[in-house]
Amino acid sequence: MFSSSPIEAWEGAGAFFSFGPGTGMTVFIFWISVALCVLPLYYIMKTENHHEDKHGDK
Amino acid sequence: MSLEELQAAITAANEINLEVYYYWCTAIMILIHAGFMMYEMGASRVKHTLAAGTKNILAFAYMIPTFWMFGWWIYLAMTNGFVPDFEAGAGGVPWGESMGPNLADNATGVFWGAFTLFACTTASIMSGAVIERIRMTAFIILAVVLGSVVWILAASWGWHYAGWMVTSWGYHDFGASGVVHIISGFFALGILIHLGPRIGKFNADGSANVIRGHSLPMTMVGLMLIVFGFFGFLGGCIIFPGTGVSFDATSWTNIYGMPTTLSAITFNTLMGVAGGMIGAYTKTQDPFWMMSGALCGIITVAAGMDMYYPGLTFALAFAGGVIGPMAAKYLEGMGIDDAVGAVSVHGVCGILGVVFVGIFLGGYPPFSEDIPTITSMGQFKGMIVMVLIGFIPGFSLAWLFKKMGILRASDGVQELGMDVEIENTAYPEEIKSEI
Repeated sequence: MFSSSPIEAWEGAGAFFSFGPGTGMTVFIFWISVALCVLPLYYIMKTENHHEDKHGDK
Repeated sequence: MSLEELQAAITAANEINLEVYYYWCTAIMILIHAGFMMYEMGASRVKHTLAAGTKNILAFAYMIPTFWMFGWWIYLAMTNGFVPDFEAGAGGVPWGESMGPNLADNATGVFWGAFTLFACTTASIMSGAVIERIRMTAFIILAVVLGSVVWILAASWGWHYAGWMVTSWGYHDFGASGVVHIISGFFALGILIHLGPRIGKFNADGSANVIRGHSLPMTMVGLMLIVFGFFGFLGGCIIFPGTGVSFDATSWTNIYGMPTTLSAITFNTLMGVAGGMIGAYTKTQDPFWMMSGALCGIITVAAGMDMYYPGLTFALAFAGGVIGPMAAKYLEGMGIDDAVGAVSVHGVCGILGVVFVGIFLGGYPPFSEDIPTITSMGQFKGMIVMVLIGFIPGFSLAWLFKKMGILRASDGVQELGMDVEIENTAYPEEIKSEI
């Protein structure tokens, strides 16, 4: 589906990771990965708060 | 084969050997994390065991992407202090050409990997101190700040040939007594001041109770894994010869460019472990401290182990093994509940490590004219910087989280056991905690 290769031949190739260095797609995926670190914290805190509410006053 | 082709083949072989070397250093360092996990789970009571292990593993998991996102950039860009050098940092930009698969760069990935595992170690050091009462979200954020920001900033200053502490003071910290251990130990101290003790640790008159973990054997095995992992850690502190990123064509060097050998590290790692264990056991007659003494020993000698005479290493490590548990007792007397002695083992022995270099390693010629020789004053000033850079962020962030009410679990949750927060239990056979 995606044509992500930044190189046309292996000879003389440098950075060859999908979408290539410094492209808009790479930067976009970087921010997706940031979000995937931050969002789970919300769910972890939600579970934490649930148990604090349930058991905190004991 | 022509002379040029032969030279190209040798260069390529060296580059690949470098990759192989740091690749396996990184893999071995994962055992440090496995060891800390066992250490902390064993030191926890039954009802907190799985939460202690889960926090440790999540710190590891969070460190990897965050160190890729900004940790490596901080190391490259912040050598001058707090003002970034964007040109130097270009190699660490996460969407740049070096921060992913690249046929023209065999080094960045393996160096990043090794430094990421150093970062994981800093978080593991802190996580042991705070077991049985810190909340998960606050812990993860604190771990990321410590591992992917604070320690690597200190490393950029004092563990980089162009770092300002190195070029100004000749700061020497081969095995990271300061940049990893002082930083982590004092970051943990800053948190502990706000986090408070475990329920039941202190009596009304201020006297302390001993809270025993549920499995000392698990703790002891964990510490032996950490000792194994230290071979990856300390092996990862030297620079492979004969490549584009090497200081020397034929000799291993330390991170400051001064020649050393793997044999030097082997002598002094083993002598450090042994000295620390014997010293701590002599002082305490306690198996827990005997094993923690191994860490006290290594950390006390790590900063200078590229040059120490092995007999000196043994004596200094012995001293670290004695002083570590004494410092823990002193901290306990001040009302600080450090569940595994992390502040003493890492923070205090890290101070010894940095200061001992100033006392015992003066006069060695530096790698270049840009770096002054090692001095007692340079090491002392470096130690002060490390203490402050570790303590202030830990203290400040923990204060903020305490004000927000997200630092410490409620008494009810602590009494039921922190495992209730992760909705699981370590031992389905229903082994119960006594208190």
